[in-house]
Amino acid sequence: MKITSIFCTALAAITLAAASVADNVPRVSHLTDDSGDRVPLLTMVPAYPEMARRDRIEGEVQVCFNVDRKGKPYRISVRKSTSRVFERPAMRAIRASMYKPLPSGEKPSGIKTCRTFRFHLEPDVADDAR
Amino acid sequence: MTAARLTATLLLVGFVLPCGSFAAASEDSRTVIGPSNLNLYDGANALMAGDAEEGVRLTLLGLNMAANERERHIAFSNLCAGYILLGQLDTALDYCNRVLARNDRHWRSYNNRALIYVKQKRYLEAEQDILKGQELNPNSRNLKIVRGMLLDETDPVSPNIIIDDRRHPPRHDEDH
Repeated sequence: MKITSIFCTALAAITLAAASVADNVPRVSHLTDDSGDRVPLLTMVPAYPEMARRDRIEGEVQVCFNVDRKGKPYRISVRKSTSRVFERPAMRAIRASMYKPLPSGEKPSGIKTCRTFRFHLEPDVADDAR
Repeated sequence: MTAARLTATLLLVGFVLPCGSFAAASEDSRTVIGPSNLNLYDGANALMAGDAEEGVRLTLLGLNMAANERERHIAFSNLCAGYILLGQLDTALDYCNRVLARNDRHWRSYNNRALIYVKQKRYLEAEQDILKGQELNPNSRNLKIVRGMLLDETDPVSPNIIIDDRRHPPRHDEDH
């Protein structure tokens, strides 16, 4: 019987702890005007993907959707996106957001509502510099 | 805006596991050979399980019993990773240097050494090692993560998210 012994190399990379996080809580600005069909009631802020922050990726996602009479978004889809990494958090934020319910008797217009999320990174300013 | 920074420890280590192989003489007859250096093998497993002390101890035993240059090389590489886990950066650096002195194309050691340099605030050297590592393995996620750690030290950023509900938003630069 032929017996061979070789080294089998198994390269394993393990991440033992979470990546360093500069500041997990994003600064948020909400820009609105009166042109919207429905009034936002609860606006969820998407998380800035850690991988994007780490790789210093910025981008923009426009998500469009219908809002049912109770104020819940449905038929959510990405209309424009500069980077796929932001699409999932944007969709998730829309799914968790709510609009004001329509008064009884009023029907939804059927017009799509769109929301654009801009993901930016700003230089961190040290506490003692403020 | 708060500039409070949470710095967790990220350790990326590459282990080379010596393991057994199958040698099949026929369809129904098979002999399995175990690791030729059991201490090295168990040490690598312990390190991957996060038991740095035991991993380093076993790897040092494995190094003493190393039968050839390849096993020594593996031991040095794993000791570099193990000592990083233990926070003994100077010792880890010494082992990484030994690996790279023998093989200057070992991207994982560049990765590990870059991590040591980041922790030692030797940012230029870290940058150089990341670049060398990325030349050898451009798609390495580990190197990207270490690069992110370096950037967090030298060029920290905070996320800023703008939610724009306007139907006809003005030009981008008017938002600010």
